[in-house]
Amino acid sequence: MTADKTVRGDTAFEPKIIGFLCNWCSYAGADKAGTAQSPYPPNVNVIRVMCSGRIDPQFVMKAFEQGADGVIILACHPGDCHYKEGNYRAAQRYRLLLQLLEPFGIERERCRFDFVSAGEGDKFVQVITEMVETVRALGPLIIPA
Amino acid sequence: MKTGVYFCKCGTNIADKIDAVKIRESLLRQDPGIHFSTVDFMCSEEGKEAVAKDLAENRVERVVISACSPRDHETTFMRVLSKAGLNPYLMQMVNVREQIAWVTEDSGRATDKADRYIRAAVRRVQLHDALQKKEIDICPDVLVIGAGPAGLKAALSIAGSGRKVVLVEKSPVIGGLPVRFEELFPTMECGPCMLEPLLGDVLHGEYAENIELLTMAEVTGVVGSYGNFAAKISQRPRFVDMQVCIGCAECIEPCPVSAKNTFNSGMNDRKAISFPFAGALPNAPFVDEKLCIALQGGECRKCREACPVEGAIIFDDSAKVFERNIGAIIVAVGSDLYDCTKLPQLGYGKLDNIHTSMEFERIMASNGPTDGEIRTTAGNAPASVAIIHCVGSLDPKHKEYCSGVCCQYAFKFNHLIEKKLPGTRVCHFYKELVIPGKDEFGLYHQARSNPQATFVRYDDIQNLSVAGGAEGTIIQYQDNSGKSGSVKADMVILCPAVVPAEDSGRLGTVLEAGQDRAGFFEELHGRLDSAQSKIRGVFLAGTCQSPMDIQKAMNQGMAASGYILSGLVAGRKLEIQPVNAEVDARRCSGCRVCVAVCPYTAISFDPEKKVAVVNDVLCQGCGTCVAACPSAAIKGNHYTNAEILAEIEEVLK
Repeated sequence: MTADKTVRGDTAFEPKIIGFLCNWCSYAGADKAGTAQSPYPPNVNVIRVMCSGRIDPQFVMKAFEQGADGVIILACHPGDCHYKEGNYRAAQRYRLLLQLLEPFGIERERCRFDFVSAGEGDKFVQVITEMVETVRALGPLIIPA
Repeated sequence: MKTGVYFCKCGTNIADKIDAVKIRESLLRQDPGIHFSTVDFMCSEEGKEAVAKDLAENRVERVVISACSPRDHETTFMRVLSKAGLNPYLMQMVNVREQIAWVTEDSGRATDKADRYIRAAVRRVQLHDALQKKEIDICPDVLVIGAGPAGLKAALSIAGSGRKVVLVEKSPVIGGLPVRFEELFPTMECGPCMLEPLLGDVLHGEYAENIELLTMAEVTGVVGSYGNFAAKISQRPRFVDMQVCIGCAECIEPCPVSAKNTFNSGMNDRKAISFPFAGALPNAPFVDEKLCIALQGGECRKCREACPVEGAIIFDDSAKVFERNIGAIIVAVGSDLYDCTKLPQLGYGKLDNIHTSMEFERIMASNGPTDGEIRTTAGNAPASVAIIHCVGSLDPKHKEYCSGVCCQYAFKFNHLIEKKLPGTRVCHFYKELVIPGKDEFGLYHQARSNPQATFVRYDDIQNLSVAGGAEGTIIQYQDNSGKSGSVKADMVILCPAVVPAEDSGRLGTVLEAGQDRAGFFEELHGRLDSAQSKIRGVFLAGTCQSPMDIQKAMNQGMAASGYILSGLVAGRKLEIQPVNAEVDARRCSGCRVCVAVCPYTAISFDPEKKVAVVNDVLCQGCGTCVAACPSAAIKGNHYTNAEILAEIEEVLK
């Protein structure tokens, strides 16, 4: 297979990003962007979970350890969670996670949390595009030994 | 473990962007044993047939479907696996159409991404468990709490299907609030006339033997879950045997004790033994224990002496506790009205002739405290009546929502005042007028064309004040244009916000069913599932869920029954999805973090074994507890840590 390289500008760095999406809102939002055929950079690799409340902070740490340059967690909007409150749990865990990243020398911008509804195909494209640009600007993640 | 990868071309939708040949080469480099096959349109009948046939012929053990969104077709292809004799959970679907082919401009990069996703799916599916759906026996019987319009409708429809219904009513009378209203909006139908056939069916109809009616009773405990609840019901003594009593009312007159009749909002008196109002059903009086001389230890037996039947009045009646097994619960406990003393400038409770709408309904009722005569406390017909809408509704300082029914009954009042007391001036003070529906405008137009009616729109109820004086009650106001004025009113009717019934909080705790911020029972979804609570098997009907009119309450009663009749069928087992949480008792430290985070109260703590236990019926498989468990003692089936971590690892390679 061809290696992930260059699309724009003079940079050859294509960030690898893991995206955790909940089945009912944000994954559906990604599908919405699909049916609208709105293009976005392919750097985000989606892991589908039923609820953002399932996202264990160890998944995020594992992703960084395995070579992800960024991780994005997308949940249902407040009040919209299919499982009532999983998105609030995800938001709580995200705040703790940020504190965990710094000791590893991982910039907090490499881990983003946002809300995308099933109807927000455009927002999904925007959030993903921003995330790729943010991580591209930060450069490859090098975790100090 | 032989893995089959089925690649749907989806016509040109996927094939134009993603190079199946390259994907195949990459996969075979990873594992030469992989069976790779392309299909033109996998979701078509031919496509599904082809996959099923191929699975069997090649003895495939694990399946990766590379096609469209699993949100569209995961269940479609799970059925294909089942048809081919494979466990449907041994499949992983890759969404290459919506999330790669349609959104990636460069086909090389799209192919790369699809390759990563499919490789990750191949890794993941190796770890899948052959999950099995479980089945449990259920009880098809139903507990209905509240015998107002919604509860009655629900009870009758369920009883009509041949099931047992336990109908629990807090008061001594059934029919809810509207049975106390002389006439109902929008068509001025007589309330008791409309409801009595329904009440008759519950008491003596074709399916009445399927309904166990417990009046003066409350649900005090519920254990179990959907399909198998056990409810504890406490019943206060009536001191009258409803089976023996013939409802002749001979006992009432001789009773020497009187008190305010709460069923008429305290506007007249009732005896210690009494009917709530004339025509109340079930047709048997009840004894107020606190008032009755005999029950307070006195010598009086006057009611029993007057009673023509033996054994109807039983002074040694006592509280009873019933335990009933049911499969589902319908909450239909209704609502109350906002306490108008919280708006002291309106004079309620301090001045004479200021009534709530409920009191006015009883004043107009022919079986009410004034036999239907509209009279002031001085005994005169009022020459002017003010009706204040939106009392506490649409008001951030009180209740922010619109109660939805007040405008319509206010126009009903207008109509009845015009009919009963022609020439009486009526002034409506309103914040908003809300009259949706195909029939409801009639009374509004009539009110507007009443030559004696005036309308004043106000912005804030603080701009209205009601004061008494030598010349009568005066309402000072500032309207929404800033203009001030005053209106004399011999009678003032307040239309208070509809609020949750006083008992809702206690019942919510018993049922573990949540309440919204206004205190109404919280529905599973406001539009899709307003007749279901968030607790599986607990359904909602009528104004306990939201303010609503009788039509909507009846419909919700039917909706709640519909869920139960289709979801809980006698002789059919309840299917339990295997994508749920499972506690490994050996690893569980008993910390109970999972119990606290579960949104469905599906996890309990076993105090003997000191471990968490998941109720399969309640668990919805969200996985919040799995992520929360500090000992990794909970497995999230089909989304296990191992499966997700393998997917992460492979997709990053």
